[in-house]
Amino acid sequence: MTVAAPLQAQTDPQYKVADVAGYTEVSYDAKARLFEQVKSDLRFGDYLYGCYECGICVGACPSAKFYDFSPRRIAQAAAREDVELIYQQMQEDIWECSQCFSCLRCPRGNNPGGIITIMREVAVRNGLASAKEALVGYSRIIYKIMSTGTQVSPDMLGRDAFPDWGPETADVADNLELWRRALPPETMHTTSTGWSVADRTLVELYLIWFETGALDMIAQVDPSLHSILQELMEDRLEEEGIEL
Amino acid sequence: MTIPMRAPVDARRLANPGDEPVVDRRPLEDPRAELLELEREGELIVQKIDREAISVATKYGREKRIQKAHLWHHKSCGQCGHIPGYSTSIFWIMRKLGYDYHDPHDQTSCTAWNYYASATSNTAAQAAVAVRNFAAAYETGYFPLIHCGTSYGHYKEVREQLIRHPELRAQVRDIMTKLGKPLVLPEEIVHYSEWIHALRHEIAAKQVRDVSGIVATVHPACHYHKIVAGDAIYDPDIYGGQRTAVVTGLAEALGAEVRSYSTWFDCCGFGFRHILVQRDFTRSFATLRKIEVMKEEASPDVVLTHDTGCVTTLDKSQFAAQAHGRNVGLAVLSDAQFAALAMGAHPYRVCQLHWHSADYRPLLEKMGIDWEKAWAEFQSDLRRLESGEKRYLDWDDADGLHDGEQPVAGPAGMNTTIEVRDAI
Amino acid sequence: MPSETVAVIGGGPGGLRAAQGVADLGGTAVLIEQRAFLGGTPVAENYCGLTPHGEPAQPQIHQMVDLVTVNPLVEVRLGTEVAGVAGDPGDFSLRLHRAGTAATQTSGDETIQCGAIVIATGFGHFDPGRATQMYGYYEFPDVITQPDLEAMLSEGRVLRPSNGQPPERVCFVQCVGSRDRQIGNEYCSKVCCGVASKEAIEIRELLPDSKVLIFYIDMRMYGYWENEIYWPAQEQHHVQYVKGLITEVLPKGDRLLVRGEDTTMGRPMEVLMDLVVLSVGMEPSPGTRELARLLGVKQNKYGFVEAVGKPLDPVSTDREAVFACGAALGPADLEDAVSSAAGAAMKAVSYLRSRAVATGN
Repeated sequence: MTVAAPLQAQTDPQYKVADVAGYTEVSYDAKARLFEQVKSDLRFGDYLYGCYECGICVGACPSAKFYDFSPRRIAQAAAREDVELIYQQMQEDIWECSQCFSCLRCPRGNNPGGIITIMREVAVRNGLASAKEALVGYSRIIYKIMSTGTQVSPDMLGRDAFPDWGPETADVADNLELWRRALPPETMHTTSTGWSVADRTLVELYLIWFETGALDMIAQVDPSLHSILQELMEDRLEEEGIEL
Repeated sequence: MTIPMRAPVDARRLANPGDEPVVDRRPLEDPRAELLELEREGELIVQKIDREAISVATKYGREKRIQKAHLWHHKSCGQCGHIPGYSTSIFWIMRKLGYDYHDPHDQTSCTAWNYYASATSNTAAQAAVAVRNFAAAYETGYFPLIHCGTSYGHYKEVREQLIRHPELRAQVRDIMTKLGKPLVLPEEIVHYSEWIHALRHEIAAKQVRDVSGIVATVHPACHYHKIVAGDAIYDPDIYGGQRTAVVTGLAEALGAEVRSYSTWFDCCGFGFRHILVQRDFTRSFATLRKIEVMKEEASPDVVLTHDTGCVTTLDKSQFAAQAHGRNVGLAVLSDAQFAALAMGAHPYRVCQLHWHSADYRPLLEKMGIDWEKAWAEFQSDLRRLESGEKRYLDWDDADGLHDGEQPVAGPAGMNTTIEVRDAI
Repeated sequence: MPSETVAVIGGGPGGLRAAQGVADLGGTAVLIEQRAFLGGTPVAENYCGLTPHGEPAQPQIHQMVDLVTVNPLVEVRLGTEVAGVAGDPGDFSLRLHRAGTAATQTSGDETIQCGAIVIATGFGHFDPGRATQMYGYYEFPDVITQPDLEAMLSEGRVLRPSNGQPPERVCFVQCVGSRDRQIGNEYCSKVCCGVASKEAIEIRELLPDSKVLIFYIDMRMYGYWENEIYWPAQEQHHVQYVKGLITEVLPKGDRLLVRGEDTTMGRPMEVLMDLVVLSVGMEPSPGTRELARLLGVKQNKYGFVEAVGKPLDPVSTDREAVFACGAALGPADLEDAVSSAAGAAMKAVSYLRSRAVATGN
């Protein structure tokens, strides 16, 4: 999978700044191309049929209660192929979805949360500012999953990492190594991974990231993280004698 | 009414461009039948349930079989990483019931937390990760059991994508070939709470602590019952078959009182990305829409749920809200930890409740558990580790047996000769 | 031996009209009804007022019944099912099985001859508990269906089943069991919008202090229903129509919490209700399914009998000399049922007459 070329900002002589809407405006064609990427995704036909515009998805949606967000508007915009609105939704809306799939309540069988997942992937692959912004502070999770094979680890419960979770979290941090040794399951004595992952398994995961282009997607969002991971993975694959 | 599910999907895929596409796509009614059909066509291998299994009914009546023993534990990142008592309880219950299992090192995360949070992945990567794990299980002959609700929901979706899209199968097959693994899927994708539900009467038979005075509210995980909604357990005797039966079935089998509340179907607010970088949303949702409503309408002693993210969210969101004087303060446990406690498990050695945030002590007191004594016991275990007497606590320590001691009291069948395979 | 009799199977409004129509044309009919009484679903499910004008249903249906039972050209078989069919078009023999009923008849079998058959076995209402739509029909006493409400209206009282009190806030949930890909009933059941509005008017008349809402996807108000039901419901009776389908019904205190989106206002909505009425859709009745199987006629994927010559011939099946009418063919209102029934009767009789002419009988 190749990463898309970066989008060209569109300067309209009427505006003093290109991002008067709060995000970078681009040409209609660029927006249409972004939508084409969404529409040509393998899953799009599974996720969108017709839309009754009945709002049953909104009634079930948690994000709709806290943000100005509506899975119905996502499905409607996609059904109407309203590329302007879709581009706007790719700025903030899609990152408000909590991916709970309560919207699968839809009587037509639509999957607004799924459409959003595709839109997010397109945003990431095209290096949209919204994607970069949404994922600020998130890189450590990407680093953890891509380098260790588990998504979260005990050592992420740092003393000051989650102060709003209560003092018990600090207790964990203070006693981490000892408390991990006090776990009966044999695979769980780790601190830097969720459980003990075999070396070979990690390498298999690296191969999957490379072969499917998942690693490339990070290049747009966090270039330095991407180079760190790429180097790490290439070295390990070489050690194991695996040809890409 | 039998509907030939292959025909409509194929008609859509194979129709000539000039033809009207047949858009008749009901959710796959019988994914198992679809998989077996693909196996007959040589497209993939299906790992079969080949031992004693219990039948359960799913939402639209399809029978699902849950294998009892010889299971491959597909672990959860969030459980193992942040709520280790959750995973420990699952293993402990399985040991107590006398069922052998495999706890693998050659398992990766399902990577779905990352995927739903950041979309820095794609369909092929997610499918390949799933199949790689299933292949690892297949190679051992142990049948996969999924610990996390999101892994489970995500894998159900991956299964549907692989069934519908031959090009995706081809891509994943190529990658598996490079890894020297087959393209294999299990006959059923089973969540551990389904296993607990199927075995709830066996669990209740080994119960030693009375929970008849305990009031519980149940929070069902979105990804358990909303993704591929037809493949989830429903039971006409539980909620009249109107809501999923897991967790509630277990609680009732143990004798606890389960009370309803008006936000039962609401998400917990985990949000995948939100709980890490937009915490006010998660915290607001979990407290305003779930915990406060449960407290006000049901006054439970414990909130029971069956997913990593849900336990994390509901347990951890209450502290900050408490600081603002909100009506929170409910113990949050997984069904596994609750069942383990009912079966006599140690609250710290097994359930590892010291990793939890919301206060669980009133619950333990109500269950007749002397948590101060238990904490002292656990502290002495820690001293043994610190002194170098032992490197790790093991399953005998979990039951208070020290190196070769026989059990003094406890449920029958508490044996230490479970056949457990370690790393390959 | 070719027969000039038309067998009409099903004694609801469609079957009654078809038997009547055969007799009007001078033919003979045998009307076979599974239940112990004629009138079909409107009688079995206590319809109170007919849509659109709300005039009492039972007297009207009984009038149709009387016309048939006194007609010398129509023989009626109550408590009877068709157990088997043999023979050819124009010369069928039907094996009938009569169930024993309390006082009036003993059980037994009988074979009759007929030349043509009219399927009038109708529909059944969708069971809202079956597909777990999260409306709590079997959990909460105050969640009822349209037929349940008709039974209440027939008694002249609308009360909350939970406490026997008149409800202050009532809502209707449209499209329950219809227009839904997940359940499989993808079609629209045609009548529920009109029926809900008629019932809403009736509630407002019985309980002037009540607030009545209808939550819908689309308001299906064909033809004169627009001005005869929809406008009066809004204008005279102040029924509130909200475009937004309900996601779930949950208990809150001693009332019900109903959740959805008020789409035209663009915001999520949770409102408390005393009584929730589910506008349940139509499905083929067990009788329709069984008879279609026995007769070997083509059914559509929902199990209704397929009218193969639509739209200009809405009553012929794919089997010669076998016709169908009413809700056995798909969602139908009473006008549809009696219209297609008359059409089926005409086609059945003309079929037999033209055979008789052709064969010189």
